[in-house]
Amino acid sequence: MTNFSILDGSIVGIYLLATMIAGIMVRKYVGKVEHFLIAGREMDLYLGIASLAATEFGVVTCMYTAQNGYEFGFAGATPGIITALAMFLVGVTGFCVRPLRDAGVMTIPELFEKRFGPRVRWAAGVVIVLGGLLNMGVFLRIGGEFLVLVCGFDVQYLEIAMTVLLLAVAVYTILGGMLSVLVTDFLQFIVMSVGLILVTVLILVNVGWSTLTEAVARHYGEGGFNPFVHPKMGWPYVLFNVFLNLAAVLTWQTTIARLLAAKDTATGLKVYKGTSFFFVCRFLIPGIWGIAALATLSPGVFGGNTLHAMPQFLSTAVPVGLMGILVAAMLAADMSTDSSYMITWAGVIYNDILAPFRKTKWSEKRGILWNRLIVASIGFFLLFYGLWYPVKGDLWTYLGVTGTIYLSSMSVLLVACCYWKRANSWGAAAAIAFGAVIPVAFLIIQQVPSTKQIAESIGPYYSGIAAYLFAGAAMVVGSLMKPRGNNKIIGGTRS
Amino acid sequence: MTEHWFWWLLAVACVVWYSTITVYVAIKGVRDIKSMLKRLAANNITNNGQPK
Repeated sequence: MTNFSILDGSIVGIYLLATMIAGIMVRKYVGKVEHFLIAGREMDLYLGIASLAATEFGVVTCMYTAQNGYEFGFAGATPGIITALAMFLVGVTGFCVRPLRDAGVMTIPELFEKRFGPRVRWAAGVVIVLGGLLNMGVFLRIGGEFLVLVCGFDVQYLEIAMTVLLLAVAVYTILGGMLSVLVTDFLQFIVMSVGLILVTVLILVNVGWSTLTEAVARHYGEGGFNPFVHPKMGWPYVLFNVFLNLAAVLTWQTTIARLLAAKDTATGLKVYKGTSFFFVCRFLIPGIWGIAALATLSPGVFGGNTLHAMPQFLSTAVPVGLMGILVAAMLAADMSTDSSYMITWAGVIYNDILAPFRKTKWSEKRGILWNRLIVASIGFFLLFYGLWYPVKGDLWTYLGVTGTIYLSSMSVLLVACCYWKRANSWGAAAAIAFGAVIPVAFLIIQQVPSTKQIAESIGPYYSGIAAYLFAGAAMVVGSLMKPRGNNKIIGGTRS
Repeated sequence: MTEHWFWWLLAVACVVWYSTITVYVAIKGVRDIKSMLKRLAANNITNNGQPK
């Protein structure tokens, strides 16, 4: 039994209705592909902060950060601190993102074409979509699992819950594109934030800070507070997360979409600075929920699956009324993430992968139609991939490894594109190949029973670190091997 | 609390900062949406000669 009641269901219903109406109403402002993909570059600061925060916090985020809290204690919030620092530094210095926004492009691969040629643009588009879709492929299932556990629905309703959620998101995203995403993100940010703050305060009051710290100390000792001495973390975990999160800040498609949708470069940088501390909250708040589950539940209650510990804890710890706000908050978080991911990856497919097929200029109407079809196709992919792919190991690591498929090479390409005069197409191609092959190979050997042991002995952190280092080395070696040409610098100080 | 002061301070900072930014963004964000839609509508009229 859970505390989810008719009152809670009504709160959720009202929230869903309001979101759908707001999302569909703004469709009339979509007149061009630029409106559909980057909101006509009219996004201002506070809308940008709300949208970026809502996008980067989904149910899947809540689940893996709570799992981090359960499995690593407070040290599990380390990736959040690293991301916040990276985000703030990039926002202050404009490192890479200033030349990217100044270039006036709609996607990162479009920038690469100016420096490395159309083939690199196309290849970059392919790895971005491959890594991004594998990454977001698990979102729906995880979101459905959370709702089923917290609301106390029968597991057989998981697929139905997933499908209904996706349909609702797809309708307004297909109709209004990025404009609908921004407006619904704003509503979702408010609902999500209210739910997150209230539940966290409830836990801190009811469970108590000392109970939380004692539980962490009892289970993990000093390692629960310091990632460097945690037996499952250590420096490889921290270093992998430094590479991963810095690369994500520079090139993660949903983050970059906010920079490119901003009304000017200064606004984009302010969005980065203004949202940076949210990334600490993004890990620590659900982390505290996970630690509360660690302190109060025995593993038998959630069948030993640490991913389910937090929702199982919440299902009985949150009272009627607040439960409705919590579920609405989590739905808000999930919908904002799904819609944003669908539109931004659709943008790369249309703008970069389909670029060679647009020999003549397409009309705006045709372009918008194609974008809508691509968003719908991504929706179908999400539904089917989410149904059959079982996540092995901890979720954050899965997301990190799949994200690395493109983050490793794209971050290297972006830095080289903006600041290294000698970088060229040979180096770019080599970096893309090495950056993708290492994490894909790791995922395959992890899934094949005969090679599973090898994957376990290497571990995801070393393979992740190797992907970034090899991608960087491949860029340098490949570029130096090509005879000197006239390589332009995009933005920056040299031209 | 004093033993794990870093995490205690960070947790308090999260709750305080997040509450403040939510209220602030909720108020200012409405103005951003209104002005964004106004600019887009004006842009559509300029391009097409009529509102879409």
